[in-house]
Amino acid sequence: MAALDGVKILDLMWVMAGPAGTRILADYGATVVRIESTKRIDTARTLAPFFGGTIGTEQSGCFQNLNLGKRLLTLDPANPAGREVFLDLVRWADVVTESFKPGTMAKWNLGWDVLRGAKPDLIMLSSCLMGQTGPLASFAGYGNLAAAISGFSNLGGWPDRPPAGPFSAYTDYVAPRYIAIAILAALDHKRRTGEGQHIDLSQAEASLHFLGPALLDYAVNDRVAGRVGNRDRDIAPNGAYAAAGDDRWVAISAATDAQWSALCTAIGRDDLRTDPALATASGRLAAQDTLDAAIAAWTASRDMHDVERVLQAAGVPAHAVQNSRELLADPQLLHRRHFVAVTHPERDSVTLEGTRFHLSRTPAEIESSAPTYGRDNEWVLKDLLGYDDDRITELVVAGALE
Amino acid sequence: MLSPYRVLDLTTERGLLCGQILGDLGADVVAIEPPGGCPARRLGPFAGDVPDPDRSLVWWAYSRNKRSVTLDVTTPVGRDLLLGLAAEAHFLIESYDPGFLASHGLGPDDLARVNPRLIVVSITPFGQTGPKANYADSDLVILAAGGPLVLTGDDDRAPVRLCVPQAYLHASADAALGALIAHHERARSGRGQHVDVSAQQSVALATQSYILAAALGAPEVRRTAGGLKSWHLTMRLLYPASDGWVAITFLFGSAIGPFSRRLMHWIHAEGGCDLATRDKDWIAYTQLLLDGREPVEEFERVKRVIEAFTRTRTKAELLRASLEHSLLIAPVATLADVVASPQLAARDYWQSVERPDGAGAMRSPGPFAKFSAQPLRYEHRPPRLGEHTDEILGGELGLPDEELAMLRREGVI
Repeated sequence: MAALDGVKILDLMWVMAGPAGTRILADYGATVVRIESTKRIDTARTLAPFFGGTIGTEQSGCFQNLNLGKRLLTLDPANPAGREVFLDLVRWADVVTESFKPGTMAKWNLGWDVLRGAKPDLIMLSSCLMGQTGPLASFAGYGNLAAAISGFSNLGGWPDRPPAGPFSAYTDYVAPRYIAIAILAALDHKRRTGEGQHIDLSQAEASLHFLGPALLDYAVNDRVAGRVGNRDRDIAPNGAYAAAGDDRWVAISAATDAQWSALCTAIGRDDLRTDPALATASGRLAAQDTLDAAIAAWTASRDMHDVERVLQAAGVPAHAVQNSRELLADPQLLHRRHFVAVTHPERDSVTLEGTRFHLSRTPAEIESSAPTYGRDNEWVLKDLLGYDDDRITELVVAGALE
Repeated sequence: MLSPYRVLDLTTERGLLCGQILGDLGADVVAIEPPGGCPARRLGPFAGDVPDPDRSLVWWAYSRNKRSVTLDVTTPVGRDLLLGLAAEAHFLIESYDPGFLASHGLGPDDLARVNPRLIVVSITPFGQTGPKANYADSDLVILAAGGPLVLTGDDDRAPVRLCVPQAYLHASADAALGALIAHHERARSGRGQHVDVSAQQSVALATQSYILAAALGAPEVRRTAGGLKSWHLTMRLLYPASDGWVAITFLFGSAIGPFSRRLMHWIHAEGGCDLATRDKDWIAYTQLLLDGREPVEEFERVKRVIEAFTRTRTKAELLRASLEHSLLIAPVATLADVVASPQLAARDYWQSVERPDGAGAMRSPGPFAKFSAQPLRYEHRPPRLGEHTDEILGGELGLPDEELAMLRREGVI
C-alpha cells in the first residue's frame, strides 16, 4: 500500500509552484483530482519544453512533469451547475488546494467559509505569490516576479554586470515543498484532533527561508548581500571553469586544505601546493584570481567529464556542468531512477522525472502520465461521485464541464 | 502542530533546514552535535564578523526551535546514549557521508532494532548508493550535477550560482517532506523507514523541467543573464528601471500573451511605442517567430522599445502600473528592499528572535505559512553549543551528575 494511500486532494492549483507540490503527494499515493477549466488554460500547458519542440496545450513537458499521476476533471467552477459538482468534490476531499489571485474563490462563492460549511473538518490551502492579505495581495504573477521581489534575482550574477538571477521562476521550485509539508502537517493535526483549517501560504514568504543567513547578515551586521559571481564566502577556489569544447564547463571547489592540496597535485602545480601563503583558506580567498587562472589553464584543453573523474578520484569536489542530454545519461541519476517512462493517452510513453527522494519501505509508485483534457471526466463523475448518465448529460448541456 | 513528536537532528550544514521546518511546526527538535560543534557553526557570516561557534549566522538562521546536546556518537558510550535517545524519538535526521553512521553502529538497521517506529532521514550529495555516492561536494558542484547551473548566468561568461548556497536547502526541504510522508504512513502501519534524499535530484526541480529537453526531443535551453535562449530566440525577463531593475514576464501564448498585450497597450498609452508595435499578435507571437512570419530582428526591436520605456520609470512606478493594469512587472529587490516591504510588514511577517549571544533580538524570516488552527511557533532561539546537554541527558535520559561529569572529562559531551 502506498504511503499516502487514501489521502484525497481536490486541486485547483495551476501553473508551477502548486502543482509541483501536489505532484509529490501523488507520487506517494495520494489521489489528486485536478480541476481545470478549458476557458482558462493552465499556463503550464503553454510552457516549454514541448514534445518534439512543437507548441500545443497537450504538448507541454512542463505540464506533464508537474501533474504526473493526477486525475483531471474539466469543470468551470464559475458555472452554477459546475459549482454544485465542485461542492460534491469538496465533500469527498480531505484537502482543497487553490492558487488563484486572492478573492477568486470568494467571487465564485467558494471561499473558505462556504467550503468549511460543506465539510466542517476540511483542510484548505491557498497559495499565491504574496499571501491572501496585505497591499500586494492582488499582485498576481509567476515565480520570476516573486523571485525578483523577494530578493533572489538580484543575488545571482557578476558584480560588474546587471543581475542574472537564478533561472526563471525560482520561487516556483522552492515553494512546492512548503506547500506539501503544510498539507501533511495539517493532515496530522486533523488525525489527532479532528480539526481542519485554512492555510495561507505566500510563495514569497516561504521562499525567503532560503535566504536566511543573508537576511540575518543584514539584520545583525547591517550588510546587504550583492552579486559575487561564483565566489564563496568560505571556499576558494570555487568556480566554473571552461573545459574543451563549445560552452563546456566544469565546477570545481576546494573546501578544505586537504582538497586544495589534492587539487594542486592533480593539476600538476606543486608550486601552489607548497606555497605557504595558500596553505589556509584565508590565504586562498585572498588569491582567488591567481588560483582561478591556474585551474582554468589546466581545464581548458580537457574534457569536462575527464576533469570530473580525475579530480573526484583525488577527493576534490568537481562536476561537469551538465545540460539535459548529459543529465539524461548521468549514471548516478540513472541509478536513482530519476527518469521514468510512463504511459500517455496520445503517445506510447513519455519520459518524465521520477521521485526526488526514496522511501525504503513504501516507495513512490509512478505509472500514469499527467491527464489530458477529458481523460478522467468519466472516472471522476461516475466512479468518484456516483453520477448517472442523465446527470452528466445535464452538466454537459449546462456548460459545466468546460 | 507536530508537538507530540521528538526529532533527533544530527545534521551538518547539509541538513539544518530540515529540522527547523519540523521545529517551526511544533516538533521537539534536539540537535545532536559533536563536542566541537556542528560544522555549520564554523560557517560565516558571523555576528559582528567574529568567528565563533556561537556566532555563525548560518547556525542562527537554521537552528531556531532546536535544543542542543553535545555527544560524540563515534565513541561506544556516545553511541549507546544516542540509541537510548533514539528509542524514544520519532524522527532521526542526519547528513553525514553515506555509511558514516553505519560504520559506528548507528545505521538505519541499528536504529530500527532499538525503535522499529523510528523514521530515519538521510541527506547526502548524491544519495546513499550509486556510482557517485561518494563524490566530494560543494553547493556549486551539486548545482552543476543536478541541472540548474548550466541554465544560469551571462552567455559570455561561466555559468553562475546565487551568492548564497542553495543546494542543500532544496535537499533539506525535500527531507522534511519525505519525513512527513513516512510519518503519515507510520500512523497506519506503526512502522518506520529510511528516507534517502539526494541533493543532486532535489536541485533538479529548479530546472523548470528543462532537465527533460533531451528526453522530449525539445531544443536545449541556453543561459543568458535574466532570461533564456530557446530555439533561436532570446527571451528576456529583466529590464532596467531608472533606479534599478525590474522583472517582466514578457512571454507569449494563450495564458501569458494577454499580459504582454496589456503591457504594450500601456506603453503605447504612455507614448512609448507606435500602434503597429502595440497591435502585434502577442498570443501567437512565439509561433510567428518560429515560422519566420515575424523576423527575429523585429522581436529584438520590441525588447529595445520596452527597455527604452522602462528606463524612464522607477521600480515603484512600474510596480504601481503592474497592479493598476494587471501587468507582470515586479521590482528586482535588494535585501534591504525586502526588509522594508510594506507587504511583509502588513502581514506581520518578520519575527523577533532572541540572539544566542544575549545581545538583544534579531529580525528573522517569519512563518513559512499562516495556519488558522495552530500558528507556527517561534519558541526557542537558536541554541548555544551544548546548551541543553544536562537538561536532556541528565533530566530526560536520567544520567546522574557524576556520570555527566565523567563524560565531560572524557570529551564525549
